[in-house]
Amino acid sequence: MRESNPSSRIGDYFRAALACVATTLLTLPLLGVVDAANIVMIFLLVVALVAVRLGSGPAILAAFGGVGLFDFFFVEPRFSMAVADAQYLITFAVMLAVALVIGQLAARLREKALLATRREDEMRALYDMSKELSGAISAEQVADIVRSFLGRRLEIEAILYLPRADETLVAIPARQDAERCQAHVRAVHEQGRPMHLAAEESGYRPALALPLASPVRTRGVLLVFGEHAEQVCAAERRPLLDAVASLTAIVVERLHYGEVLQEVTLRMESVRLRSALLSAVSHDLRTPLTVLVGLADALTLVRPALPPPALESALAIRDQALRLSGMVHNLLDMARLQTGKTVLNKEWQPLEEVVGSSLKAMAGLLAEREVRVDLAPDLPPLEFDAVLLERVFCNLLENAAKYAPQGEIAIAARVVGDTVEVSVADAGPGLPPNAAQDVFDLFARGGHSGATGGVGLGLAICRAIVEAHGGRIWAERRAAGGTRMAFTLPLGTPPVLEEEASE
Amino acid sequence: MNDERPLILLVEDEPQIRRFVCAALEDEGRVIEAASAAAALEAFTGPAPALAIIDLGLPDRDGVELIRELRTWTMLPLLVLSARSAEAEKVAALDAGADDYLTKPFGVQELRARVRALLRRQKVGAGETVIEFGRIRVDRVHRVVTRDGATIHLTPIEYRLLGVLLANVGRVLTHRQLLKDVWGSGYAERGHYLRIYIGHLRQKLEADPARPCHLLTETGVGYRFQLQDSAS
Repeated sequence: MRESNPSSRIGDYFRAALACVATTLLTLPLLGVVDAANIVMIFLLVVALVAVRLGSGPAILAAFGGVGLFDFFFVEPRFSMAVADAQYLITFAVMLAVALVIGQLAARLREKALLATRREDEMRALYDMSKELSGAISAEQVADIVRSFLGRRLEIEAILYLPRADETLVAIPARQDAERCQAHVRAVHEQGRPMHLAAEESGYRPALALPLASPVRTRGVLLVFGEHAEQVCAAERRPLLDAVASLTAIVVERLHYGEVLQEVTLRMESVRLRSALLSAVSHDLRTPLTVLVGLADALTLVRPALPPPALESALAIRDQALRLSGMVHNLLDMARLQTGKTVLNKEWQPLEEVVGSSLKAMAGLLAEREVRVDLAPDLPPLEFDAVLLERVFCNLLENAAKYAPQGEIAIAARVVGDTVEVSVADAGPGLPPNAAQDVFDLFARGGHSGATGGVGLGLAICRAIVEAHGGRIWAERRAAGGTRMAFTLPLGTPPVLEEEASE
Repeated sequence: MNDERPLILLVEDEPQIRRFVCAALEDEGRVIEAASAAAALEAFTGPAPALAIIDLGLPDRDGVELIRELRTWTMLPLLVLSARSAEAEKVAALDAGADDYLTKPFGVQELRARVRALLRRQKVGAGETVIEFGRIRVDRVHRVVTRDGATIHLTPIEYRLLGVLLANVGRVLTHRQLLKDVWGSGYAERGHYLRIYIGHLRQKLEADPARPCHLLTETGVGYRFQLQDSAS
């Protein structure tokens, strides 16, 4: 930056003066050979050249110097500033005016050229930095690149403040007095507006805090500071600083998304692993359970029949193995629902069908129970996954049978608004107060007795399935006593069935 | 030794499951065991089995593929053993030509009932002109359906659906098979047609449509028609 150097500026004036003197010495022999007007032209040319080479100040000096020297050496009486011919006064005035105008025009041109060169230089430097940044894979690397760029180009220091997962801003590189300007940096981060900090505010040096604004959000703060306020506050430096800040923001955002991507990949990998584990576990458990159920069942049927105690044991083994199998299935179902791997196989179908198949599936458990089915006659077909909804019904029925050992179980369904409300009610002791929603949590159990057995997975599975269908599930105490478990399914628009042509 | 009992081929890789299935089927037939698909095919070189029970998780080959191959040259009844929550697998096996399936774990009674039904089907065939179930009587020659003597009106599609079901008594028919047989192959994806018409049939033929005794739902798989109420 030549302008910023005062010693070279004095040198420029000296050079301008020297140019005028040299011109005088070189043109002196021409005196008498050529007309004085031509010598004026030569002086004007020198002023223009000085302006182009050295800028506007030296050009002004050259203009006045040129007029003075021309008067002194070339105009009669020579070697004196006096002028014999009054005409020359006009010559001087015009010469001075033209020299000044040319000088200023040329100097401005030169400044523009210089500015363009500097801009280009800046652009290239920014481009180089952005190239470096694009290869950066950590916040520390980004900070290093930005710091070295600003140090080289503007001789200022910089610190990057980036938010962590908990939104606290962390200084990179870490510095001991980072805390001192934390409040200001935080304000900049939150408001997204740059802020000048006086020396006492920033800690020890005048600073400028620039937000790293990306299209989505502010990604952190770039704090730059120098020995003098001028170094960081000068208006002509702002475009470059802003450019650095926005480049940094883009890179920090890229790093952020890279991290997100990595996390997602990791999570997907763990889901994949879990489901592979699940299917392995389910296979490994199924085989011995099948054998256990089968062999115990075969024992109960051997002829001649086993003595009663042995027969009872065989039956108990079979029943417990079946229960265990049910629990394993519940666990696997829950795990599958939780990994989000379950794809709903939704189809339009009457609710009646799944009620019927559930009752059949639970026939053993409900053998001695009265089950009333009351489905509104105007129920339209609903869109649901029959296998999963059967699980909901089976779990609700099992629950009712388990917690209400006596009394009728009632299944009902009716249209309520834009949903169908389905309920399974029992005449048991009812839920404890305040437990209405908790029962659907994983491993929650309605009663506090251990005698009824079973982990509270069934209702959690119900909730997962109902919610996957866009419905909600709840439990309430019936006024008449007992519990009413209800869930909703959205009505939707069933597909139109082509009417069958009558015969 | 002259054994008159029908031959039952059991294709299952778990020796313990083979053991109890053999014990359970003592009364139904003589069981030949095969631990792999290759061994199963080998078994057909001897006396022809009357029924095959196939576990879908075989070590050397996909069970569904084995079924498909068997179906290219034999119509013997095939009973599939499969895991719960593997409806797609069951549907694939049934579509490939299996007649019925059992979900693990299963009881001895259940197994015997299925095996008996499949063997009986083989013997009786589906040629009877009059079929009775519950209080319903279907005269297939005159296309008349009556309950306690009173005529029940069925639409053509309902009658065709009932006809297909009756021709496959005891078998599980997948949604796809029923749609194809009743409506034609273009309707294979319109599951709701089938479900609505099954609902109509239940309304007309079942004593309690919400708790059908004959036209049973195999959730996620298809339907099965049975003449006797198995729950009793």
